[in-house]
Amino acid sequence: MKKTFILIVNVVIMAAILVFVVLYSRSESAASYRRQIEHFEDSTVTMEQVTENYLESEQRICDVWARYISNEKMSMEEAAEYIRSSHVLGSTSAHLISLDTLTGLSSRPKQGTDDDYAVSYQRIGLLENTGWIDEVGESVNITRAYTNPMNGEQSLAFCNAIKLYDRENGTPRDAVLLRVIPVSVLEQKWVFPQTELVNAELSLIDANGDYILKGDSFKNASFFEFYKSYNSTDPGSSGELFDRITSSTGSVPMINSHKQECILAFTPVSAASGWTLLGLVPTKDLNIDTENWLLVGVISAGLLMMFICDLFYMLYLNKRLQATAREAESANKAKTDFLSTMSHDIRTPMNAIIGLTTIADKNLGDVESTRESLRKISLASNHLLTLINDILDISKVESGKLKLSPLTFSIVETVENLVTVSQPMIKEKNIEFSFHINQMEKEYLYTDQLRLNQIYINILSNAIKYTEPGGRVSVDMRQEKSEKPGCIKLTYVVSDTGIGMSPEFMANMYQPFSRQTDSRVNSIQGTGLGLAITKQMVELLDGTIECQSEQGKGTTFTVVLDIPVADRQREDMQLDSIEVLIVDDDETMLQTTVDILESLGASAEQAQNGLEALGMIEHRHLSGRDYDAIITDWKMPEIDGLETIKRIRAEIDADIPILLISAYDWSDIEDKAKAAGANAFVSKPLFRSTLYDKINDLIGKESSSVEPEDDYSDLHGLHILIAEDNDINWEIISAILAMYGITTERAENGRICVDMMREAAKGSYELIFMDIQMPEMNGLDATRAIRKLEDPWASSIPIVAMTADAFSENVTECLEAGMNGHIAKPVDVKLVIKEIRRIKDGGGQL
Amino acid sequence: MKKTLGLLLTVLMILGLAACGSETQEPTTEEGFSPALDTSTDCHITVAGGYDNFEALEAEFDSFNEYYPNVELTFTKVDDYNNMIGMVLDGNDAPDIYVNYSWMYGRDQYKSSIDHAEDLSDPALGLDLDCIRSNIILNTSDGTLPMVPVFANTYGMLVNNDLFEKEGLSVPTTYKELVDVCNAFREKGYENPMMGFTNEETTSVFTLTAYPYFCETVANDAEAVKKLNALDPSAGEYMRPTLEKMTQFMNDGCVDTDACAEIADNYEAVILRFFEGDVPMMTCSGDTVSGTKKRESRSEAFIASPFTYTFVPVPMSDEGANFLDMSNLQFSVNKDSENLDMANEFMRFLIRPQELNKMAQNKGLMSPTKDLSFNSVYAAFGEVDESRILSPEVIGLTDDAVIQLRQAVYGVATGTMTIDEAVAAYGTFTQ
Repeated sequence: MKKTFILIVNVVIMAAILVFVVLYSRSESAASYRRQIEHFEDSTVTMEQVTENYLESEQRICDVWARYISNEKMSMEEAAEYIRSSHVLGSTSAHLISLDTLTGLSSRPKQGTDDDYAVSYQRIGLLENTGWIDEVGESVNITRAYTNPMNGEQSLAFCNAIKLYDRENGTPRDAVLLRVIPVSVLEQKWVFPQTELVNAELSLIDANGDYILKGDSFKNASFFEFYKSYNSTDPGSSGELFDRITSSTGSVPMINSHKQECILAFTPVSAASGWTLLGLVPTKDLNIDTENWLLVGVISAGLLMMFICDLFYMLYLNKRLQATAREAESANKAKTDFLSTMSHDIRTPMNAIIGLTTIADKNLGDVESTRESLRKISLASNHLLTLINDILDISKVESGKLKLSPLTFSIVETVENLVTVSQPMIKEKNIEFSFHINQMEKEYLYTDQLRLNQIYINILSNAIKYTEPGGRVSVDMRQEKSEKPGCIKLTYVVSDTGIGMSPEFMANMYQPFSRQTDSRVNSIQGTGLGLAITKQMVELLDGTIECQSEQGKGTTFTVVLDIPVADRQREDMQLDSIEVLIVDDDETMLQTTVDILESLGASAEQAQNGLEALGMIEHRHLSGRDYDAIITDWKMPEIDGLETIKRIRAEIDADIPILLISAYDWSDIEDKAKAAGANAFVSKPLFRSTLYDKINDLIGKESSSVEPEDDYSDLHGLHILIAEDNDINWEIISAILAMYGITTERAENGRICVDMMREAAKGSYELIFMDIQMPEMNGLDATRAIRKLEDPWASSIPIVAMTADAFSENVTECLEAGMNGHIAKPVDVKLVIKEIRRIKDGGGQL
Repeated sequence: MKKTLGLLLTVLMILGLAACGSETQEPTTEEGFSPALDTSTDCHITVAGGYDNFEALEAEFDSFNEYYPNVELTFTKVDDYNNMIGMVLDGNDAPDIYVNYSWMYGRDQYKSSIDHAEDLSDPALGLDLDCIRSNIILNTSDGTLPMVPVFANTYGMLVNNDLFEKEGLSVPTTYKELVDVCNAFREKGYENPMMGFTNEETTSVFTLTAYPYFCETVANDAEAVKKLNALDPSAGEYMRPTLEKMTQFMNDGCVDTDACAEIADNYEAVILRFFEGDVPMMTCSGDTVSGTKKRESRSEAFIASPFTYTFVPVPMSDEGANFLDMSNLQFSVNKDSENLDMANEFMRFLIRPQELNKMAQNKGLMSPTKDLSFNSVYAAFGEVDESRILSPEVIGLTDDAVIQLRQAVYGVATGTMTIDEAVAAYGTFTQ
């Protein structure tokens, strides 16, 4: 209804504009037309003056002749002779007509003769009554147009009554002198001078309407008859009109013989009583077309086009709005669904945390029960944290605020972290897990490590999450040459034998808040944001993500990223010329490791199981050419890695360096491995640098035992300043650090922290953990202030942010403020220890 | 529905805009004429004649301008036309087309008028000469056609049809019926059942009634025509039957000469007297009939009591009335015209039945075409049996011979001469 109303209003407005333009144009045209008519009237009056001057001048010549002839009492012959001698113009002539006979002499001979001057007016009908001829000099006496009896030309004659005298007896006779002028001569002069009146014509009529001079467009012998022939009128009104025409100056419209509308202008000729000069011009000649139809046409076309454009644009906007409304509705529904899910998903771990806290509180005496409760609380807390991180991430993605914070990082560490993070779930679900790397030549890359981790972890955790216990998850990572200069193409392929996805779901799987509707999925914790975040981040890193999936069979995600290679790389790694035996039932793994070792300068042999390896080792041992090192996988058929190590130690060589490799968590087999006699452990996948380091360590340390990872003695005695305004957070971090023998001191806000640093003796603190959002002075300002302290030790002390501001731009902000690292709250103890060690080992030196 | 409404409004707007445009007027085209020249030709054609007014021809100019809008056509009156046209044709103002008369043919004083005329029988000119009655086309000795008739003329009487109807009488078709009708009207109180101009010979009631009768008596007598044309005094006897008929006509009392003498002239006075409404029959020529239409509005009696009238032949013979078929106005093309092609094009346009009929009707004259039924005033002449159509052109009587008859008839009818005197005077009468 509204659309119809708008349409009607638009059309009405356009029509109103056009009507206005047309009316205005017509009004202008009418005004112009009126001016043109007035101009024509004026021109006719001017022509009357011209005519009058002309008539009077011609009449004066005739008067002069008449006076002279009368004064000199000439005979007809003498008068004729006199006039012949007075003629100047060749086109004019004079006739002397005796009124008693209406015959006489002409000043010029008859056409076709040389000496016949006799002229007769007996049949012309002009001089039967000469009452209209006034005395000489009194007025213009002009005949109507008539046929000159001497040459047949249509002519006019100016007349005067004269007396001619009989030569013999001197008797006077009444006669008329006619100065005869061809109409054609007059017509040449008698035209409107204005070019716009080229079609206008003049006529001269007497009081009866009979033409004295007749323009071509004037018809009939009488103008009045001409008017009545082509213009409908009644006798009364036509009489009034003719009276007006013959007595005043003005104009009237009339129709001419061509049925054209014309304007008739009229004005009395003052030189001759009763005469009227008429001007007739077609109306179209006066009606200068100010009705600019081109303008109207252009405006119409413009308005029409505008209308059509607006119409289509409105339709387009409506469609867009409808689509947007649908999307908004869909998004709203999705958000509502999501909130509902979130409510459920948040309440579930919260319920676990609160419930288990209550149980732990009531079972403080039961250590085992309390430990179990705390372990479950920890799991629930981690899940809750992941959930919150995802929500925050997706909100940033959707608001377009997600920014990259590239830095140099080790892909080896990234993969190790990936494996480490995945291990608990893999172990829990008893999933067969493999991680293959290929051609991973560049260890240090330059990109946003946090986002890269997020991508890889999201995909891998999804694969593990949606794979049934006993299933298989494999990861392939390889570096290839990139088309982008200075980059490598890093391909990350995660395949699982999980539940797979339906085509319908795959079509929308990157949409936020979407989770597959599946009874099996519903039991799995998830936010429905992981893939959306992953997709956004892959695109942010200018990469591609592809997915192949089949319901019930599994899913394969492939992420390809072009990542710049960092300037910093490990120097050339070359091992001494050593011989190494690699034992693994995974042929791919076996070959990859052989390739790596050979690229490091070692010579490698391979065995596909423990028994084969034992045989080869024994053979070498007996021949006195022991391997310099043995690398064995843990999980192998027949006898596993641990059994193989045991037998080597027991039956062949107790000192030969043995490196145990596994895709599984070291902690699970640590004790058994140590007992079996493994010298070191390395997680799959085997990176070149990792192998290089581990083999060098093995060769250098000979048969030294594996260094326990839970040896925190290096941390004992460290003193750390913690800037934290929140009492609970301070309590937690100080308590955690105390467990590792680290002493702490608190600054309640940034200003106190700065003051403490200003006053602290050199070496008082190893580093500062700095909260960001604090009263009085925040962590960033405090860091900047510390970096400006005069004391070189104080100004260069390592500062690590410990804050709930966990976004990458927060990290960047911290680093730009002068900090050396960033730990997000809630804090992961392992990360804290790792960061302390990094700082302690010099990684945090400015 | 909304889309339809939108489209409808758009279309309405466009139509509205179109309606704002100026009207274009298509020229009316007339069937049968296709311009042969460039229709944008710009020239001036002058037609010369003796009429003061020639509105009927000017109407044809307008029609021609629908095809050739840039051709300016004007009619120019030449004073003392018959005597002046030769000089005009030789002078600076020579017209492109001019009025000509067949009686000028063969006379030295009008030689120029014939010599300047183009031969219009040339088929290349495309004139539709077949539409004209052959009786009135000039037959020249050399077979050329210097002029073509655009109007015809005849003699007859105007009949007040309303009076005939009112009195239950029929228009007479024989001489007896004529006398009977006159008597019947007189008995019904009409003092002048038949009138005509009598003051001069020219188109007097006597000439108008006697001349057709005379033509009938000599039409098939070549010897008589020859003698008559030679003005042989003995040829006066050929007039005797006509003069006796005229005497009978006067004795039968059809015409009251005293009453007729009150009619001042043979044109306007005749018409206005007829329009008084009390005269059932008024003799006149076709020329006079042409003036009736205009004068209807000038007659107070006719305005007060209008009636229908027609022009019919006068039945002077017991066998019936004769239709004296004569040419009236003829047009020639000046073969020296500067715009000869366009002058011929105008003639090609004009000499077609529809244009000739239209011009004749506008002028009130008899059309020269074969179809006279289109004009109710002259329709009666179209119904005359072909055997009773007489043409002076065909009979071959010269004007001089006819003048002898006319004068003789006038003398006898007015009582100034006896029949014998008139017969004896043949060849001595002057105009």
